[in-house]
Amino acid sequence: MPMNSLRPKGWLRLLSLLPLGLLGGCAHRRGGDEFWMLDPRGVISATQDHYLALDVLIMLFIIVPTGFFIVWVMRHYRRDGGRGRHDARWDHSYALEALVWGIPILTVGALSYYSVKAIYAVNPYHPTVVVRAARAAHVKNPLDIDVISTDWQWVFIYPKQGIATVDRLVVPKGIPVHFRLTSATVVNDFYIPQLVGMIDVMPAMRVRQSLLVSRAGTYEGYSANFSGAGFSWMNFETRAVSRAAFRAWVARVQGAQAHLTYAAFEKVARPTINVHGRVAYFSRVQSGLFRHVVAETAAGKTYPTPMAMTENMTRYLKVQARRDAHNRD
Amino acid sequence: MSATTSGTLDAKKSPMWSSGHGHDVISTKTLGFWLYLLGDAMMFTALFAAYAVLGHAFNAAGGPWIRTVAHAGVAFRETAWLFASVLAYGFAMMALKKGNRGGVLLWITAALLIALGFLAVDGHEVMALFRMGAVPERSGFLSAFFTLVLYHGLHVVVGIAWMLVMLVQVASAGLTEKVVYRLLNLRLFWHFQAVMWVFMFTFLYLRGAIV
Amino acid sequence: MFVHIDGPWSPLLGRLALSEIPYNNPILIGTFAFAALLAVVLVGLVTYLGLWRTIWRDWLTSVDHKKIGIMYILIGLVMLFRGFMDAVMMRAQQAMAVGPHSAGYLDSPHGYLTPYHFDQIYTAHGTIMILFAATPLLVGIMNILVPLQIGARDMAYPYLNAVSLWLTAAGAALVMASLFIGDFAHAGWFGIVPVMELPYSPGVGVDYWMWAFQLSAVGTTLGGINLLATIVKMRAPGMTWGRLPIFTWASLSANLISLSTFPVVTVALALLALDRYFGTHFYTAGLGGNLMLYNDLFWIWGHPEVYFVILPAFGMISEIVPTFSEKPLFGYLGMVLASLGIAGVSWGVWLHHFFTMAASPAVNAFFSITTMAVGIPTGVKVFNWAFTMFRGRLRFELPMMWASAALFFLLVGGLTGMMNAFATNDYMVHNSVFVVAHFHMMLLLIVYAIFGGVNYWFPKVFGFRLEQRFGKMFFWLFTAGTAVVFIPMFTLGFMGMTRRLAYVAFPQWGPLLDIEVVGIAIYVLSAVFLVAQLYVSFRDRAKNRAGLDAWETSRSLEWMTHSPVPFYNFAVTPEVHARDERAWRVARGVDTVRPERYEDIHMPRNTAIPLWLGVLSFGLAFGLVWRMWWLVEVCAVAIIALVVIRSFDHDTDYTIAAKEIERMERAIRDVPSGRPAADDVIGGVPAFRQGV
Ligand code: HEA
Ligand code: HEA
Ligand code: CUA
Ligand SMILES: [Cu+2]
Repeated sequence: MPMNSLRPKGWLRLLSLLPLGLLGGCAHRRGGDEFWMLDPRGVISATQDHYLALDVLIMLFIIVPTGFFIVWVMRHYRRDGGRGRHDARWDHSYALEALVWGIPILTVGALSYYSVKAIYAVNPYHPTVVVRAARAAHVKNPLDIDVISTDWQWVFIYPKQGIATVDRLVVPKGIPVHFRLTSATVVNDFYIPQLVGMIDVMPAMRVRQSLLVSRAGTYEGYSANFSGAGFSWMNFETRAVSRAAFRAWVARVQGAQAHLTYAAFEKVARPTINVHGRVAYFSRVQSGLFRHVVAETAAGKTYPTPMAMTENMTRYLKVQARRDAHNRD
Repeated sequence: MSATTSGTLDAKKSPMWSSGHGHDVISTKTLGFWLYLLGDAMMFTALFAAYAVLGHAFNAAGGPWIRTVAHAGVAFRETAWLFASVLAYGFAMMALKKGNRGGVLLWITAALLIALGFLAVDGHEVMALFRMGAVPERSGFLSAFFTLVLYHGLHVVVGIAWMLVMLVQVASAGLTEKVVYRLLNLRLFWHFQAVMWVFMFTFLYLRGAIV
Repeated sequence: MFVHIDGPWSPLLGRLALSEIPYNNPILIGTFAFAALLAVVLVGLVTYLGLWRTIWRDWLTSVDHKKIGIMYILIGLVMLFRGFMDAVMMRAQQAMAVGPHSAGYLDSPHGYLTPYHFDQIYTAHGTIMILFAATPLLVGIMNILVPLQIGARDMAYPYLNAVSLWLTAAGAALVMASLFIGDFAHAGWFGIVPVMELPYSPGVGVDYWMWAFQLSAVGTTLGGINLLATIVKMRAPGMTWGRLPIFTWASLSANLISLSTFPVVTVALALLALDRYFGTHFYTAGLGGNLMLYNDLFWIWGHPEVYFVILPAFGMISEIVPTFSEKPLFGYLGMVLASLGIAGVSWGVWLHHFFTMAASPAVNAFFSITTMAVGIPTGVKVFNWAFTMFRGRLRFELPMMWASAALFFLLVGGLTGMMNAFATNDYMVHNSVFVVAHFHMMLLLIVYAIFGGVNYWFPKVFGFRLEQRFGKMFFWLFTAGTAVVFIPMFTLGFMGMTRRLAYVAFPQWGPLLDIEVVGIAIYVLSAVFLVAQLYVSFRDRAKNRAGLDAWETSRSLEWMTHSPVPFYNFAVTPEVHARDERAWRVARGVDTVRPERYEDIHMPRNTAIPLWLGVLSFGLAFGLVWRMWWLVEVCAVAIIALVVIRSFDHDTDYTIAAKEIERMERAIRDVPSGRPAADDVIGGVPAFRQGV
């Protein structure tokens, strides 16, 4: 009875393999551009991808043969129909045990080497790949952007340009962008899959991240770390444009009506779920706003989540819409 | 070679079923208590780690910092009380070895009273700090500081309660097996909290004197 | 002294007001009706069958390690079911709430769950599955097996064992209570600070999560102490370390982890409680708090915890594979070292759960390397299992099917784990569903090992084997369901999908999310076959009766006593001569040698105190959640009083006379072929029922 158990349910086993096809199928249906993770458009993400491929390749080199070996053993030594010779006493072999420990040790050694190399290459405080690429291209003036996450929006401040945006990031192609990031409330992850990996954005703390876009285009950015009810809507479109287009955009935003003082920031930072993906622009930003937000948060400033707001989303969104309408004038 | 098939034992000659064999109750219970202490030590370690992380001037958030709240002098007095109590408990154990029930009762009572003295000093110090506004909710630093102090204090309170229970049991049941292993475990516990106090003395109070 | 909280509070009910009962939520009302119906049916059935006395005397007050183990497993199965229901709800929501134009129902703009509700569901799912399903299931199995495998009468501390059980039960009950009274946390199973701080979580959800977690943590720590002491102190004569069954070694390694790390999470949660109740500043962003401290403390437990649950699973696979390969385990020493190695390394890898926290590259490099190093001992295990099968005579009966499938999960989960461990990869996939798929491979490996283990040891515990045909259908459907749910999830990871999304903003992820629902449907179908398997097994229990050794080729000590195991385990403690004692005896034809004479046996007496401690802990935690201070005080005082009272109880053991043992042994043996009569199987064998 035992072995034939594998046979009658063959269709089921086939079924379980079916989803494997999805891996290939989806990649082709829409030209593969949905696989953000495998379609890097920035220097950092390209480096990450390079090492990802290397890591997977090395691992597959072990995992695949191991898998095949197990399948072969299971077939060859099965009691009903297998051809293997049974040896009820064999349970030890020095040579094999050396191999069993040796192979993983060597592999882990190799992987560790590459892992450390990769970590330094994309180190958010000093990404050598970005530094090197910028040097090669003789770019002198990197762009600085301050990022503040709130509940649940992103505020981007361009200190030198004196402008700020909410939920829209525009960067020039081919120029290193240096971010300083903090949060006014809880922890978020700053993430643009095709451009740069995640970095935690933490209240009362400042971290850094860099970016060097190699191809113009529109990319999706979002928070990757759960931060409360509005988390799923915490997206920001990222536009990488030519330098000229960037200058034009800055000029346009500099004409915006609203200014971003700390008082205005406190309004932005009120718990808001940006369901419609509205973008806001500010000209004139209070100088030192970023540092002020960090200091205020460290001194205990919070933007509490009202208990009622999340239980009935529909009602809350109506209230929020009314509030927004009121604020506009 | 297989472990199953090898071996020099002759199956036909060796016994298959053991003939009477018991487990030593006291050592089994003591082992368990050691393991518990290991867990408790991990809790202290975690609290010390929290204190290390939150022990910087920045974490005082402008409020009182280590120099203001940790007085080596007071801590020294507390240490004296605590070690005297441990010593007294040690005498109780010596009496136990001799089977001297009266001695056990006497010395445990002494240890208990001295421990109360420790609590009095400890409590007095904490209250004084509270009065000067150094309360746990003032800053991350004070939260970590008081949590350690009070967690250790909790151990002393538990130890005192345990001594009370043991006094009753020694008096009523005598030095039975159960009472003995509990007395031994209490000794471990009492030494343990004293050892933890040494760490507190070093990392909280001495450091406060140095910084 | 207590931090002030907005909203109503009354001395009697604390924060609990009628509005906290979610009577306006149709989903919860439906669930409640279902649960109430189930409870009524169960109570009715038990009353009808007149089982209350038995349940009280033989189960609820029992200190027998086997019964405690069975009760652990029951809790685990019930919670597994609950966790599964949560998974179904999550998958349905994510399939419905795709894109800005998707419809919304029940106060939600998209799908049928508000973010608030969805967040509670994945938090509950993760918490339940890890702490109240996987952990109790494995602790239960360790409870049953370890004393049997080392030839002990019971655990080192049977009373403490019952306390652990009822603390875990209290935690599980608290999670269940949160379903109908108030709400649950919405900050993920590992908790996110400062989301869990009062300004961002003013409700009682986090308190429920925190106290339920705490109860289970304390219960598991005590259980760890118990198992370690049992293994060190209670081994039968001749059971040297070199002969210890491999599952016992795995349990030992696992409990070294639990004892050394559960206290850390107890502290992590206690500090959170201080923040929430007294307004301290451990994890706040401001006033000198440090939220990274929580991440460190939590994951110093959290990572070892996943190895705490995987090691017993590995242990079960290591027992099942040799039995069905008819061959000793390959590389015993290597396996032991690998288990201890995994436990050892597990303490030094926690930071890989927040590689993205912008630690210095040297720190990330260190933890990346240590994390990958876990692949070495794990690889040893995989290869050793393969070589155990090599030159074997493999029988793919149910336990072996589950165990072999688990190997492939380990390969996939390990491959993806190694991808995460490579820190720069983790910058891309951290918090993505790729990670979710990784850990489900690993955690499903545990589920597979558990199903394998349950099928394998069921006859030992209950005296009859589980039915195989429906069992195999269940296996294949469950596997198909897993593939259809999780392969798309890996794919979605590469498409950039993050985890914990109550609303899916990018419509291109929709089709794969739909496919995952198909997988869920297959899962649901599979559960039908599981129930069928259990039902048919019970119906045909007479036909499927098992002898001492249900599989004929089993190897270790537990297969040398009756099935079901009498309450005293072994009438006479066996002498151990070899690593696989039963196989050794069979090989020498001495497996039928009976004890020449019996001796008195000392057994611990049943007691209701652990049960009351559990009830009171539940009351304590419930009072804390709702800030009903009187309840907290009453329960705390009662708990202390009970502990003290128990310490004055001198009548905690009793002795069974040798003659009585002999009579019971004969009663079991005199049934034809040494198998108990059919109707006696469940708890009915005189010997299986605990004497008074
Ligand atoms: C042991 C742990 C475990 C197990 C087994 C599972 C099993 C499953 N999990 Fe879970 N999961 C987690 C642990 C686990 N999970 C954790 C820790 C998280 C993270 C939470 C967080 O983010 O905070 C998570 C998160 C998580 C998510 C959230 C993803 C996100 O964040 O976006 C999803 C979504 O689909 C999911 C799905 C599933 C599914 C479909 C299964 C299926 O495999 C379920 C299959 C199970 C069964 C089919 C049960 C069969 C048994 C019975 C029905 C019992 C019968 C009972 C009796 C007879 C009494 N899981
Ligand atoms: C039982 C559970 C279990 C197990 C066993 C593992 C095993 C491993 N896990 Fe996993 N993990 C989880 C459960 C588990 N994990 C959970 C629950 C989370 C997320 C929690 C949350 O965020 O909610 C998580 C998250 C997680 C992360 C963080 C991801 C993130 O949040 O960004 C990382 C990163 O390094 C990781 C790595 C690993 C590694 C390297 C292993 C290794 O142990 C794997 C070792 C196995 C192999 C490597 C395969 C077998 C070996 C061979 C065939 C030999 C050849 C191998 C080599 C040469 C290396 N895991
Ligand atoms: Cu880590 Cu801030
Ligand atoms: Cu981990």
